[in-house]
Amino acid sequence: MAEDVKPTRKNLMEIEDRIDLSERGHDTLEQKRDGLIMEFMDILDQAQDVRDDVETNYEVAQSKINKARAMEGDVAVRGAAAALKEHPEITSQSKNIMGVVVPQIESSKVRKDLDERGYGLLGSSARIDEAADAYEELLESIILAAEVETAMKKMLTEIETTKRRVNALEFKLLPDLRENQEFIEQKLEEQEREEIFRLKKIKAKKEEEEKLEAEEAREEAELGEQKVTADD
Amino acid sequence: MSSRAGSSNPEYVNARVRSRRGALFDDDDYRKMLRMGPAEIARYLEESPAYEEEINALGSRFSGVDLIEYALNRSLADDFNDILDWCQGRLYDLVARYLRQFDAWNVKTVLRGLYADADRETVDVDLIRAGEFDERRLTRLLDAATIEDVVEVLSDTIFGDPLEAAYEEYEETGVLVPLENAVDRAYYGRLSTQDLRGEALVEYREFLEAEIDFRNAINALRLARSGADIDPAEYFIDGGTLFSAADLRGLVGSPDELADRIRESRYGEELSTPLSTLDEGTSLIAFERAMEASLLEYADSLGRIHPVSVTPVVSYILAKQREVENIRAIARGKEAGLSEDEIEDELVIL
Repeated sequence: MAEDVKPTRKNLMEIEDRIDLSERGHDTLEQKRDGLIMEFMDILDQAQDVRDDVETNYEVAQSKINKARAMEGDVAVRGAAAALKEHPEITSQSKNIMGVVVPQIESSKVRKDLDERGYGLLGSSARIDEAADAYEELLESIILAAEVETAMKKMLTEIETTKRRVNALEFKLLPDLRENQEFIEQKLEEQEREEIFRLKKIKAKKEEEEKLEAEEAREEAELGEQKVTADD
Repeated sequence: MSSRAGSSNPEYVNARVRSRRGALFDDDDYRKMLRMGPAEIARYLEESPAYEEEINALGSRFSGVDLIEYALNRSLADDFNDILDWCQGRLYDLVARYLRQFDAWNVKTVLRGLYADADRETVDVDLIRAGEFDERRLTRLLDAATIEDVVEVLSDTIFGDPLEAAYEEYEETGVLVPLENAVDRAYYGRLSTQDLRGEALVEYREFLEAEIDFRNAINALRLARSGADIDPAEYFIDGGTLFSAADLRGLVGSPDELADRIRESRYGEELSTPLSTLDEGTSLIAFERAMEASLLEYADSLGRIHPVSVTPVVSYILAKQREVENIRAIARGKEAGLSEDEIEDELVIL
């Protein structure tokens, strides 16, 4: 690659500018990567907690509905579920964590009061209430898990991208630029040395010519003196 | 529809019921079923005279635990229809007022089916034909295209006026709660004990009062747990001895006082243990189960005090209901992979 670069001072300056910019970019990206990793670790802890909650809540909800189906009958449980048409509402917004856009999921009407569940209180039982409660709690934890896990995946992708950029700068772009810089500097030094050598040569040649001219002048002067003496 | 000609015939009905009671499953049967899978339970039921016909009739349409549950419901319905057919005069009134809980169930099932746009057949199989409604009325209910039509079909029944009154609220809110509560309130309203006079009916009256008291108590605890801003008086059922609507309004805000009131009542002895475990956040299910067991025990004793009255009939009705619930609990519990201990905890066995 270095051979492709013209070894000129202009290119050297340009490369030096690019090295400077890349080094600053590398430092910034390294800081971003480290920051993202710290944020990711926080989200990872949260995600593990949320995942544990989802698993626990799922087991509790399954157990409650199994017991409700066993004691009240499948028909009664299905009937109670059919008495409600209104679904929970989920709205998604976004927030920015170190340049990564992650979703922020807001839910409403997940938790319902006894008089909002559709089935009548007088003809139902605590088993159905508790199964409904458990499923509402499960749904809430699933919504939270969706938010946290999506944020975690997006952070992970961004960390990977930033790591690749840092590595590309550190192991490819900066070494190449430095190689080019070295190449141009070497070439320029070589050219400088050649120039000095050439100047020395010219100077020596010029001095020799001056010496010859001086000798010739001296010889001519001597010949002229001899001619005057003979005429006398 | 709420009376039948002729004089009361408790001797005849009790004799028929006694033979059926002898065929109910006992603890050993439940223990055997606890060790079986759903398919084996279905076969076990097929070998039992009480369920053989139902299992065979439904075997081609359903399988697994659904077959068991629908067969149990059908057996329950056939049994209770037989009892209503045998009853005459005053006895019919006394038994029918209790069995109307299945009419209430069927009305709510039809309402829910329409509300959820379920198809006719799905609603049909979920009906339990054990109440007073005849096949013609049930068909009209199933044919109803709208909730308004259901209200219209029921206009000449005990559910007619309450449903009509609640329909406006249903239209405003768009939820079934007012209609369902109206149906249940109509049922409990007719359970009223005021006309149950005479020595032979004392226990029956006490039993119905206990059922209403327990329903009020558990509903008050459910309301207290939910923390919802609901007026408890809206859900108060008249006819019990433990609470008045005003009492209940005050007690819902104070579950401890509510528990003390139950503890000091005539039910205190039986319910003191589940009441003591009823701390904040503890499941109400154990308490509900204890009340069911207490009610069943009470009903069981009814049959022995006045052998020639309505009480042995009601006692059998409750025992049959409990049998159906226990078999269903075992089968559904097995299907869900619950352990034998977990299922046994859910069973109410005397």
